[in-house]
Amino acid sequence: MDFRLTDKQIEHRKECYKVCAELEKKKPKNWVGFESQFDNDEGWAFHRYCAKEFAKRGWLSLGWPKEYGGTGDMMEKVLFAEARGYYDLAGSDIFGVSMLAPTLLAAGSEELKKEFLPKIASAELMFCELWSEPNSGSDLAGLQASAVRKGDEFIVNGQKTWNTGAHRADWAFGVYKSDPNAKKHHNLTFILCDMKTPGITVKGIPYMSGTHVYNEVYLDDVHMPAKYIVGQENEGWAVVNVLAGFERSNLDMVYGLVRGLEDLVHFCNENNRGGQPLSKDPMVRNKVADLACQLEAVRTLAYRVADQQNRNEMGLMDAAAVKVFASELMEKYAHVACDIMGPYGQVKHSKFAKMNGAPEYTYQGCFVPIVSMGTNEIQRNIIAWYGLGLPRMK
Amino acid sequence: MDLRFTEQQEILKKSARDFLTKECPKARVRELAKDPKGYDPAVWQKMAELGWLGFNIPEEYEGMGYSFEDLTMHIEEVGKNILPGPYISTVVNTFAIVEAGTDEQKKDLLPKISNGNCILTLAWFEENGQFDASGITLKAVSKGNDYVLNGTKVLVDSAHVADYMIVVARTKAGSGEDGVTLFLVDAKSAGIKTEVMPTIAHDSLCEVVFKDVAVPAKNVLGKVDKGWAVLQTIIRKGSILKSAESLGGLTTVVEMTVAYAKERVQYDRPIGAFQALQHKMSDMWMTMGTSRYLLYEAAWMESNDIPCFKEASMSKAYINEAYKTIAALGVKLHGGIGTSYDHDAPLYFHRAKAADTVYGSTDFHRELVAQQIGLK
Repeated sequence: MDFRLTDKQIEHRKECYKVCAELEKKKPKNWVGFESQFDNDEGWAFHRYCAKEFAKRGWLSLGWPKEYGGTGDMMEKVLFAEARGYYDLAGSDIFGVSMLAPTLLAAGSEELKKEFLPKIASAELMFCELWSEPNSGSDLAGLQASAVRKGDEFIVNGQKTWNTGAHRADWAFGVYKSDPNAKKHHNLTFILCDMKTPGITVKGIPYMSGTHVYNEVYLDDVHMPAKYIVGQENEGWAVVNVLAGFERSNLDMVYGLVRGLEDLVHFCNENNRGGQPLSKDPMVRNKVADLACQLEAVRTLAYRVADQQNRNEMGLMDAAAVKVFASELMEKYAHVACDIMGPYGQVKHSKFAKMNGAPEYTYQGCFVPIVSMGTNEIQRNIIAWYGLGLPRMK
Repeated sequence: MDLRFTEQQEILKKSARDFLTKECPKARVRELAKDPKGYDPAVWQKMAELGWLGFNIPEEYEGMGYSFEDLTMHIEEVGKNILPGPYISTVVNTFAIVEAGTDEQKKDLLPKISNGNCILTLAWFEENGQFDASGITLKAVSKGNDYVLNGTKVLVDSAHVADYMIVVARTKAGSGEDGVTLFLVDAKSAGIKTEVMPTIAHDSLCEVVFKDVAVPAKNVLGKVDKGWAVLQTIIRKGSILKSAESLGGLTTVVEMTVAYAKERVQYDRPIGAFQALQHKMSDMWMTMGTSRYLLYEAAWMESNDIPCFKEASMSKAYINEAYKTIAALGVKLHGGIGTSYDHDAPLYFHRAKAADTVYGSTDFHRELVAQQIGLK
C-alpha cells in the first residue's frame, strides 16, 4: 500500500494551489459559492474566466488518456479539485468536464470524442443535463419525453426539470424514450443537443435560497441529429449509469469543507462566549474535531476512488458511497458551524455576516448534492443491490 | 499511489484467517470468556511458532522485523475472527521496549516475548477514569537502588496472567505530563495483588493493587519523569492497531448481517428485500468503507516514519464510533436471535464497547485532534 504522491503530483498540486489562490482574488463581490456561477451574470463570467485559465494549463482534461490530451492520472484531477474547492472557485464545468467527458471516453464513438472532447478541454462549450421530468424523479427510467426517429434525426417532445445551469449552457446531454414498445431500460436513447436548437424553452425555478440555479426545459419538436447519440440507440440507460457513476464520484464540493473547517477553527479562536473563546468550550472542541475526523475519512476515500478509477475498477456502489458520505458531511458541517455561530448562524453573505455567510449558504445548499444525482435513498438502494447483493425491489 | 494490499500482506492475511478459523472458533471464544486465564496457552505457543509475537521485534532480538503496515493488516484479520487474550496488548507494548528500552531490557525481554514466554500489559488507568496525565496518581518513590510503588490501577488487560506490566507512575509531585515515569514491573513481584473485574467483553481486565512494590531502578522504561512521551508512542501505535482489530470486527459484523438478511425469510421473502433493512445495511457498509482508508493512511504513515499523531487519533475516534454503531445494528438486524448469548452478534457488540477505551476513548482522541487542527 502506498499513499505517497509522486514528485510530479506534488509539483502539480503546488501549481494548482498557486493559480487558484490568484483567481480567488478576482471573485466578484456577490460570489457566495457553487450556485453563484449560475445565479448571476458576474458569476457566470467569473466561471468562464476561471475555466479559460484552467483550460490553457490543460487542467480540464486531467485524468483523460494521453491520446485525448490528458495525463492519464486521475490523482492529478483529484488534486486540482482539492485546490479549486479550497478556494471556492468554479471554472470546471460539472456537466462537461466531470460527467460527459469521462462518459464519452468510456462509451462514446470516435467521432463524438473528436468533436466534443477538445471543446470541453478548451472550455469552449458548457453543458447541462436534461434527465429528470415532473413525473420521473427517482424512477428516471420511467421518463416520458419522446424521441421519434425520422431518417438521420430525432424529433423530441416533452418536459424536463431540475436542469441546473440550463439557462447558461451551450449544449445539453439528455435521455429520451425512443421506443415506446420496448421493455423498460431498453427503450431510452442518450443524445447530445445544442441548446440553441429551435423548440427549446428554458424557464427558471428559484432554489429555496432564492437563487437561480436550476430550470424547467420544454422541448417542442426539437430536431436532434442522430449522429449525436452516445452509445447505442435504445440503450441509453446503460450510458446513464456510466455517467451517473462519474457524477457521483465527483468530490469537488466537499473539498470546500477543508477550508470551511479552517475558517470554523479560526472563528472559534477569535470569538468569545461566556467570557472565553469558543475554542475553550469542550463541547465545541469535540464537535469540530469530529468533523475533522470525518473530513479526513472522505479525503482518504477520494484517494481510494481515484486509485480505483486509474485501474478502471470503480464500482457503482463505490461512487454511491462517495456521494452519500460527502453530501451528508456537508449537511453535518453546516449544522455544527451554524450552531456554534449562535444567532449569527442565520445571517447571509453580507457586511453583517461572520465567516462570510458560508455556513448559512451550506445549510441550505447541501440539499443540492443530497437530492440530485439520484437521492441519497436511491444511492442506498444501489449499495444494497449492487454492493451487498440484496434482493432488488420489484 | 497504489492502495492495494501487497502480496506479502495477502499472504499474512490468509495465514491469520486460516489459523484462527481452525484454532479459535466462536465456541472456543465463548468458552474462554469463562476460563480463569482468559486465553489459550497452547494457541499462544502456536502463535509464537508462527512468528506472530515477534512481528514487530527486530531480527537481532529473535523477531521477524515486519513493517508496521504489515502488522496492521495482520491485526485487522485477527480482529475479524476475535482472539481472546493479551495478544494486542503484548504486541503494542512491545513497541515501548523496542523504542525506549535499554540494551539490557531489550536483550532480556524481546526474545522472550517473541518466543511466547512473556505476556506484556499496560497498567495505565486509575479509578478516576481519566486518560490524560492528571489521572496518574500511583506513586513511585526512589529508595536506594529501587523505586517503591504504591497505588491502584484498574482495567489492566490480563494482568493476572501477565509476566511484565508497564506501569505508568508519578515520580514527582504535580499533575502534569512531566513527572510521569514508566516502569517495567515483574508481575510476580511481592506486593502486587490482581483481581479480574467483570466487564462487558469478559476480557480479563484487572484491578491491580501495588503495595510497597520494589522495582529496580534499571527497570525504568525511558527517562525518569519523562515517561509520558513513551506512553504517547504506545497511544499512537496502539490506537492504529486497536483500530485495525476493530475494523476487522466490524467487517465481520457487516458480512454476517448481510448473509443473514439474505437467508432469513419473513412475509414470504428474505428480510434483506425490505428497504428499511437495506438502508441500514448500506449505512453499515459505507461506515466500514470510510473507516478503512482512514486507518490505512495512518498505518502507512506510521510505517514510513511520517508523523501521524493526528491521523492515529482520527482513526481511533472515528472507528471507535463506527464499530459500536455497526455492532449494535448487527444485533438489531438479527432480531431476537441476535440478542442471545450463544449468537456471534453479541460477541462483536461487547468487544466494540471494550475496544473504545483501549488506548484512549473517542472523546480523549477528539481532544487530541482538536489540539492539532489549531483550536487554541
